[in-house]
Amino acid sequence: MEIVDLSTLPDSETRYTEFLKQVCEKHDMDHAAYAGMNPAAGTVAGFVTYDDAWNEHYQKQGLVMIDPTLHMAKRSIAPVDWSRLERSPDFQRVFRDAHDFGLSNQGVTIPVRGPYGDIGFLSATRDCSKEEWRKLYTHVISDLQSMAVHIHDNVVTSDELTGALYHPNLSTREAEILQWVAAGKSQQDIGDILSISHRTVEVHLRSSREKLSALTTPQAVGRAIAIGLITPG
Amino acid sequence: MIIVVDGLNRHQFSDVLDEMFELRARVFGERLGWDVKIEDGKEIDEFDHLDPAYVIGLDDGGNVVAAVRALQTTGPHMLSDVFSAILDGEPPIRSATMWESTRFCVDTQRLNRGKDKNSVSYATCELMIGSLEYAKNAGIQDIITVIDPIMDRVLKRSNCAPYDYVGKTVPMGKVSALAALLDCTDERIDAIRDFAGITTDVFLEEDKALELFNSKKQLDQSPANRDHKPLTELEKYFVEQMNAARTEAERQDVLRLIETLTDTFTPEQKTALLHTPRAFAHEA
Repeated sequence: MEIVDLSTLPDSETRYTEFLKQVCEKHDMDHAAYAGMNPAAGTVAGFVTYDDAWNEHYQKQGLVMIDPTLHMAKRSIAPVDWSRLERSPDFQRVFRDAHDFGLSNQGVTIPVRGPYGDIGFLSATRDCSKEEWRKLYTHVISDLQSMAVHIHDNVVTSDELTGALYHPNLSTREAEILQWVAAGKSQQDIGDILSISHRTVEVHLRSSREKLSALTTPQAVGRAIAIGLITPG
Repeated sequence: MIIVVDGLNRHQFSDVLDEMFELRARVFGERLGWDVKIEDGKEIDEFDHLDPAYVIGLDDGGNVVAAVRALQTTGPHMLSDVFSAILDGEPPIRSATMWESTRFCVDTQRLNRGKDKNSVSYATCELMIGSLEYAKNAGIQDIITVIDPIMDRVLKRSNCAPYDYVGKTVPMGKVSALAALLDCTDERIDAIRDFAGITTDVFLEEDKALELFNSKKQLDQSPANRDHKPLTELEKYFVEQMNAARTEAERQDVLRLIETLTDTFTPEQKTALLHTPRAFAHEA
């Protein structure tokens, strides 16, 4: 199943929750949540697939202030498996409550650091055996990293001010490669044309997709044409 | 062995980090002559305050012999800032699955030129394996690394040749700097493991790493050992007695004798003797 690019979903608050639901479905997770802080705009955003009852409890109890899956993950560059947080009293407090609402304490939080001091967290949780979790984690973690940056960038750029700052800044090489894609060339062809390895082509494409807040290369090409970074085919 | 220190566990490893910052001062400040800020013998820059991850290599004696620093490319990192000259004014690559590695260094003073466990080559390979495996487990697919041409040659010789380069080579201090691309694939990791003959897990658990590091600190703190002062006749006698002791009772006798001669020794000498044979192991 292909996850739908966020910017193509109708512009409403529910599209983020919709996106998180798709992430869960594709990656076999029970629940997913996104939290983001944007100091430039002074905003905090949160979207979850959890039930309303837990949401309400979480907000009423002010658990966001102590939630170690956010506060600890902020200090890591790598995804933080929640098993690394088990010993902290805050973890026990939040997850004792979560347990009462039928939520698992097995999960991962992926921190995203943006260029303007903005920071976002994509968390995913799954109730299953430890062994199963390890396998699932290894299998999906790379894709979850991309999903984390995708939702974060979309949330942050939906703010007018930060959106203006986030103008896609493609390098000459990235624009050149996208232009060749628009002309219908394969990655292998492009590597040969530019005398660079096809992995380098892939790395530049990945970077271009992210800078254009797109999940797929065709979407990135479309957007680059729309804002005049490259010309149509 | 390799230990990963980041914002979550750095409070436990501040001494290890200090030793790493000292190694960086020797390598980047003195040897490579880069324009880095050194205070109190430590090289620390603004990126060290952004909670990066450090992959650190310890030798069997608990010394920091290799280190590298990793940052996400989605946020502030060196290529988007201080190393922008390498990119010739172009914006850097930004990717959820690419990390930037900087300040890659090994202790060429402590390590030898061969290929054994105490060599530059072994420490480099072990650090590369640790960094690539840590990145791969985090879902990272590629690393962009800022290195000097010597490190570039070391990588090529260690079955870890970069698959490409980005930007250009620019002069930096006594050498120059360039940005190389490395994939975090099993193929690359296996190739380095083959080259270095490392088949086992390179990671050390947190408490084991602390134990190893602190074992060295204890040795350092026994003054008689630190300045390698020649032992007095009486000290030698006790070391011999201690080594000759066959039973626990005999060992206790020697310890009691040391205790009764308190006036003869300085407190440091006494402490060192009571820790015999470890404190004097290499002298006796």
